[in-house]
Amino acid sequence: MIAFQNVSKFYENQTVLKNITFTVRKGEMAFLTGPSGAGKSTLLKLMYLAEWPDEGDIVIGDHHLQSLRMPEIPMLRRNIGVVFQDFKLINNLTVFGNVALALRIRGVSEKEIKNLVSEALKKVHLRHLSDSHPRSLSGGEQQRVVIARAIVAEPVVILADEPTGNLDPNTSADIIRLFEEINLQGTTILIATHNRELFRNTGRRVLKLDGGNLVAEEVG
Amino acid sequence: MSLSYSFKSAFQSLCREKWINILSIFTVASSLLIITLTAFFLYNIEIISNHLPERFSIVAYLKDNLSQEETQTIIDALKKRGEIVNLKYISKEDAINELQQALKDTSYILEGLSENPLSSSIEIRLKKDFVTSSSARQISEEIKKISGIDDVYYGEKIAEAIYLLKKSIQNISIIIFLTISTGVVFVTYSTVKILFYRRKEEIEIIKLLGATKGFIRMPFLIEGSAIGFFGGVLGIIGALLFYFAITYRLSMVIPMLKTLVFPLEILVLLPVTGILLGIIGSVIALGRLRL
Ligand SMILES: Nc1ncnc2c1ncn2[C@@H]1O[C@H](COP(=O)(O)OP(=O)(O)OP(=O)(O)O)[C@@H](O)[C@H]1O
Ligand SMILES: [Mg+2]
Repeated sequence: MIAFQNVSKFYENQTVLKNITFTVRKGEMAFLTGPSGAGKSTLLKLMYLAEWPDEGDIVIGDHHLQSLRMPEIPMLRRNIGVVFQDFKLINNLTVFGNVALALRIRGVSEKEIKNLVSEALKKVHLRHLSDSHPRSLSGGEQQRVVIARAIVAEPVVILADEPTGNLDPNTSADIIRLFEEINLQGTTILIATHNRELFRNTGRRVLKLDGGNLVAEEVG
Repeated sequence: MSLSYSFKSAFQSLCREKWINILSIFTVASSLLIITLTAFFLYNIEIISNHLPERFSIVAYLKDNLSQEETQTIIDALKKRGEIVNLKYISKEDAINELQQALKDTSYILEGLSENPLSSSIEIRLKKDFVTSSSARQISEEIKKISGIDDVYYGEKIAEAIYLLKKSIQNISIIIFLTISTGVVFVTYSTVKILFYRRKEEIEIIKLLGATKGFIRMPFLIEGSAIGFFGGVLGIIGALLFYFAITYRLSMVIPMLKTLVFPLEILVLLPVTGILLGIIGSVIALGRLRL
């Protein structure tokens, strides 16, 4: 479960998020939309603590971020698989190495890592690029590596920031189908995007952000 | 936490940043070599100086005309004292013989004497720890009070010199060890700091994926200790080369050098010291990590 309670975030004198309150139920798959600069990425960053909220409280599963102690931060982050808008791939690791990293920090054995990583790469159709380096991949391929890394450790929450930004319509549909499959197994998923195609006719909840305000909630 | 991954990651970084690492390994090696050579010389000076106190003695001159019993009483009184290793009674006859031997051809100067002018004496050797000028003085003064003893002589200057030599050897080794160790810590500190900043971006990513501080620190600690370890091994090689050079080459010119001893403990101590100093440097370099 994700719950925001009167959350605000300021950068210097700019208000990036203003008094945001919403919940995403456990096992729900929802969308977050809004124009560029609306604050979508910032809102996601507050959940995995790349940024800290200035006001209000955020609850992710059992973690109350307001009273979170330092050593709990890695545990919180391991519960969340993030598809970063700017990818955050490590260039001197291979595709395999990048995806495996999410498991290595969790202390998973090398043998298990091999199986889990190739399974995740298969799901995003990248098994053949396992030994390539991120720099030699196309934008869309890199994006799918990021998705594989976000799902490989089977986190309870997935936050996807513009996960289809570099993908053609067919591959985009594939990825959304992949998220739906994962969601069916009980994973809570929040997808930030300004591509209306992704949520049109899905019947899922869409949160609308504009200028740092949560302006509407509709059904896609 | 998977240690094999940390080791692999540290090893990759050692290879990737080879110039920085080689440079600091050599710096650490030469620092440790300086420590070793100092230790080596001090160790040998120490061995030599350990024998010096054995040659130091206090001589107690006895009054003339003491009976055999009186002499024995004095010897027994001295033997009771804990500071004394052994005693040697030298009768006035022995003394004159010894003097004659020493004078050899010029011993005729003794011929005019109608009576033996020398006194009987007791030569006293002290335990090593008591060969300082203050305890030698105190012991002499106490011995002087024993009845039947005429006078006591001891080499105050020698006792003082032996004591000072040993004290300064200890002080010099401590100062050199501390200075060079600080240097080694600083070298690993700056190397690890540089390596850490080079991988800053990567570390930020790993943090966001949920890595613990330990997981992030471990490869750097391993790398720091590896630099210390290889520095230590290289230092040993340097020290051995140096040792064989002086014992085999220079000893042809200066034979005394042949008796120098190479302390084998160095083979273990140097890499261990390297690792410890490397870890200290890395820990300081990583400092307080923010997640
Ligand atoms: N580190 C920062 N320092 C200052 N301002 C920031 C920072 N990060 C974001 N902002 C500002 O916050 C606002 C929201 O940014 P955010 O990245 O959340 O937008 P977004 O909705 O994700 O946009 P996009 O659709 O283009 O990704 C922007 O006006 C941006 O300039
Ligand atoms: Mg964004």
